[in-house]
Amino acid sequence: MGLEFLARVRKTSTWLGGVVALMAATYASPLRGLAFGAGVLWSLVNLQLVERIVVTLLGPDRGTPAGLRRLGLALTGMALLFASGAALLSLMSPVALLAGFTLPLVVIVAKAATLLLLDSRAWRGLVRHRFRAALAALVLAIGAWFALGALTSAGGAPSSPAAERSAAASAAGSEAHGAAVGEAASPEAPETSEKEEGFTNIIALVAGANPHAAWAHFLEHYEVLIFSLFIALLLLLVAFLASRSPQRIPSGFQNGVEMVVEGLSNFIVSILGPEQGPRFVPFLGTLFVYILAMNLFGLVPFMHSPTASLNVTVALALTVFVYVQFIGFKELGPIGWLDHMLGNPRDVIGWILSPLMLPIHIMGELAKPISLSCRLFGNIFGEDMLLVAFASLGVTMLPFKQIPFGIPLHAVFFPLALLGSVLQALVFTVLSSIYILLMLPHEHHDEHAAEAGAQHAH
Amino acid sequence: MNLQAALALGLPLGIGIAAIGSGIGLGGIGLGAMQAIGRQPEATAKIQLAMIIIAALAEALTIYAFVTMFLLKGKL
Repeated sequence: MGLEFLARVRKTSTWLGGVVALMAATYASPLRGLAFGAGVLWSLVNLQLVERIVVTLLGPDRGTPAGLRRLGLALTGMALLFASGAALLSLMSPVALLAGFTLPLVVIVAKAATLLLLDSRAWRGLVRHRFRAALAALVLAIGAWFALGALTSAGGAPSSPAAERSAAASAAGSEAHGAAVGEAASPEAPETSEKEEGFTNIIALVAGANPHAAWAHFLEHYEVLIFSLFIALLLLLVAFLASRSPQRIPSGFQNGVEMVVEGLSNFIVSILGPEQGPRFVPFLGTLFVYILAMNLFGLVPFMHSPTASLNVTVALALTVFVYVQFIGFKELGPIGWLDHMLGNPRDVIGWILSPLMLPIHIMGELAKPISLSCRLFGNIFGEDMLLVAFASLGVTMLPFKQIPFGIPLHAVFFPLALLGSVLQALVFTVLSSIYILLMLPHEHHDEHAAEAGAQHAH
Repeated sequence: MNLQAALALGLPLGIGIAAIGSGIGLGGIGLGAMQAIGRQPEATAKIQLAMIIIAALAEALTIYAFVTMFLLKGKL
């Protein structure tokens, strides 16, 4: 039990405090969660300063000027800490603050008790045999199950109307969201939690905390837009950081980003050909990275996939559509574009068939954005719905719905979601590049294996 | 049978029927791709790319049924 023990206590308390503060912010009120987090932070800083003081007083450099200076610094910090603690106590709810303050102490006691228990002879005797250990674990689990049930039925009595209402609502299927990430069944926000489906995201939480403010409605209305802009900013930041001071021999971050860019470039050039390909790498590569980031964003807790909304995918598909037509006009010219739309008639049969080919080509061009957008939207939305359905199943399986626990049944589908996200981004990019390829003046038509697939479809 | 009952019966059924078709199609695509890779292992990358594209096109049909279900779910 040295200083290493304290470091472990700090780590555990930080994680536990963060999780509990988030839960308190979700279930009770955001202010109370903030107060709890502040309490934990205060207590952790306090422990750190006390440790520093004890180390300076008892350590090897006591009495030296350096040790004295460190002691003075720690004492000043202590005084500042107490002043801030008094300010916090007057500002925030004292109960949550005190609960947060005691959390690291509880962690210390629990850790010490566990250490004592693990060293004791009874415990060693218990875990020597596999069968006996399994039996003990089973007994513990059953005991915890009943204790939790008794606790929640005793403590959850005053809040039973809200719980009943949320249970009834989730039985009706209109409120199948929330679950493991955090349920927005807070009593403040009934009207916001009615209409949205899917996991609770941070904007819905913020808007739910202020149900009557105009800006909250604005935020909620443009939630998808805000998330996609945030992702764009994130990607901008990554690109900026990676290319800020380029090294000849890259390492670390720059290396990773260069690997991604090079892989994308090779991939797109392999579809479009070495002479036409490099021009389109910026557009198509950006498309891939952006869509991939948006797809994966739904798996981050308290975030939301913008591509799970038809608005975003239609916008992306329309961008591709306009770009492809623009490329056609630029490369072929108006006459050439019309010629392309007529099916490149070169002989008598071609000219006879051209009135038939024109509507077919126009319909084919118009079908492309529809199929692109619906595919992306359906896949990502379906993925999210699947996760939500299984997560809420995991929560409603437990008989006591008030406690924020659930069986993470949806964890099985995370690999599937990851695979689907990457695959859909890839498919969107590949199909876009094939649409561009079909628009370009084609001399060697049959060389590319990928093109055959697109021609079957349209 | 009123509209709601018809929707409640028809929507899941529609997805199921679409999934049967897509499943048959995807099976055929996978079969063809695997056989092609078995015959020409050096062309694996090209075959896989074409396979993924065609699989996405076949899968999209089920997705259309799925999207339709969500559009009509509000009427339930």
